Amino acid sequence: MLEIKNLHVKIEDEDREILKGLTLTVPKGEVHAIMGPNGSGKSTLAYVLAGRPGYEVTDGDILWNGESILEMEPDERAAKGVFLAFQYPMEIPGVAGLTFLRTATNSVRKKREQAELSTPEFMKVVREKAAKLNIDTEMLKRPVNVGFSGGEKKRSEILQMAMLEPSLCVLDETDSGLDIDALRIVSEGVNALRGSDRAMLVITHYQRLLNYIVPDKVHVLSGGQIRKSGDKGLALELEQSGYAEYAGEAA
Amino acid sequence: MNVAVIKTKAEQAIPELFERVANDLPGGAKAAPARREALSRYAAIGLPHRRIEEWKYTDLRNSLKEAFAPAASAKLSDAELTAALGPLAALDGHRIVFVNGHYDAGLSQSSNAGRDLGNAGRDVNIAPLSEALASGLTSLAAEGVDVGQNAVLALNAAFVTDGAVISVAEGAVIETPLIIVNVRAGKDARSTAVRNVINVGAKAKVTIVEAFVVAPGAAAAAQANTATEIKVGDEAEVVHVKTVADLGEVTHLANCLASLGKGTVYRGFQFTLGTRLARNGFNVVYGGENAKFELSGAFLTRGTEHVDTTLVVDHAVPKCESRELFKGVLANESRGIFQGKVIVRPDAQKTDGKQMAQALMLSPGAEFDSKPELEIYADDVVCGHGATVAEIDEDLMFYCQSRGIPAGLARALLVQSFIGEALDRVENDTLRAALGVYADAWLDDTTA
Repeated sequence: MLEIKNLHVKIEDEDREILKGLTLTVPKGEVHAIMGPNGSGKSTLAYVLAGRPGYEVTDGDILWNGESILEMEPDERAAKGVFLAFQYPMEIPGVAGLTFLRTATNSVRKKREQAELSTPEFMKVVREKAAKLNIDTEMLKRPVNVGFSGGEKKRSEILQMAMLEPSLCVLDETDSGLDIDALRIVSEGVNALRGSDRAMLVITHYQRLLNYIVPDKVHVLSGGQIRKSGDKGLALELEQSGYAEYAGEAA
Repeated sequence: MNVAVIKTKAEQAIPELFERVANDLPGGAKAAPARREALSRYAAIGLPHRRIEEWKYTDLRNSLKEAFAPAASAKLSDAELTAALGPLAALDGHRIVFVNGHYDAGLSQSSNAGRDLGNAGRDVNIAPLSEALASGLTSLAAEGVDVGQNAVLALNAAFVTDGAVISVAEGAVIETPLIIVNVRAGKDARSTAVRNVINVGAKAKVTIVEAFVVAPGAAAAAQANTATEIKVGDEAEVVHVKTVADLGEVTHLANCLASLGKGTVYRGFQFTLGTRLARNGFNVVYGGENAKFELSGAFLTRGTEHVDTTLVVDHAVPKCESRELFKGVLANESRGIFQGKVIVRPDAQKTDGKQMAQALMLSPGAEFDSKPELEIYADDVVCGHGATVAEIDEDLMFYCQSRGIPAGLARALLVQSFIGEALDRVENDTLRAALGVYADAWLDDTTA
């Protein structure tokens, strides 16, 4: 279970607070969506969960399975099962996708005290998982994300997620830059990972993604706090009315 | 006003060392006049210092505290040679082995078992320079390169003990790489001077590798002076790779002089790690149109190491191309230097030159100096240069770490990512992999 308690976050060396007492609980087996206008703190929440440097937590806590993760390095969090699918996946020239995937997979397995995968074992697993995401293994011989289209980058993120077998998936604007076909493939990839052992936090500006990844709960984030929570119907409401009614509270 | 410059201890010691060994140097009376002439050329100019523009960042007069006596040859077993070669031992090729600057026929032969030149043997003539000197070889293979003010080359000419003299016949295609192995051995701090003279006939194809390695148990300190002259005949294709992994308190002074005939393709690569001070000088002159020259390189430095790459590319004729890409990884207080001078002579219209130097700084105390110099006297040319200096990208570090990769491994991956672009210029898979092994081992030691 993910428990975010009264989380206050600001950017290092700046005074402005971005998250202002955010409280949220996502039990295992559930998919929660976070929706909110631009600048509401959605991406900050995603980054703070994954442990990106440059943010300062001034108050509150984040517990994953009852354990605070705030002091953990990003790689330790990954070993504990936290995975962030980036809004803008990064390019790593000169490092083949397969090398990156294998290094990541085996780093995580090692820390989880699982046996590292041999090359043939690894290749077998990658091929299976890549095929489901319509990813050609030839593509994985190329440097990580270099020259990939928006859709290819997002599929590559979901493949990484599938390989690392996380228990907490945070998807940051996974729908941005995707056409309808790519959106469907990526969503199917995500849905395939839904399960009773996994919690998911889907961050999105638009309701569209939630037609494909149907959430158990929807939360409205505005002005650094959760303003409203409801079922999937709330997303449809927001699509009609917009975020205007929450903007005042954000000020 | 003439100011008498006080000679340093090392500068004074060099002529004394010469007198001590002169009678034993190969080539005897045939070679003696040229050696004496070179020594007096050196004596007139002394060691290069920072007030000489080409040596602005590498003050040899200041950093060379003493001159080591020339090294004697040493006995090495096959196993010791293999250990010295490390990752390069896997490289298939025809080896020409020099131990402490002296040709070792036994090691050259025994380590070539099963990989000799076969039928190509008659198309390649390889001889030790020590023999060639006795029969009167003194001339430079590379024409048109002015070496008058180069004190390091003058010292090389005075003290040279050996090297490989290689001739590749016209039209010959040599599939097996020729590997010139320079091994350093012995417990005492010594100096070596070697010179390779390479002549590639018209339309020939050959790959030449120069490897500088150190035998287990060798002294930490050493001074090496190496020069390679290479003349590439019309329409010949040459791959020329130089690797320096001579780990220690080593001063490695290298010069390569290349002259390219018309329509030639020269692809060079220079890899340097582990030396206290390395100076890789490279002069190339185009002798005919439509020649393509590519020189890339990678270096890794740490501690207070210093690696200087200084190129002079002389576009003397029209329609030629030059490409340079050098990448350096610098840790601790180390220093990297890239000087690239491109001269485009008045007649050299349609010259196409591009140059790039990039440094990745692993520590705030490291320094990288890049000095491109374009001297363009023709008006219809395309010449460009660039330089970048960066640290490890923190966003990429986070990306890797968020995928469970620990910080040390992530940093190593990103350094590989940086240097990989240069190493990719090495076409030979085994050789590229060997350089990768060197770099990985360096990273393991450096980030630990």
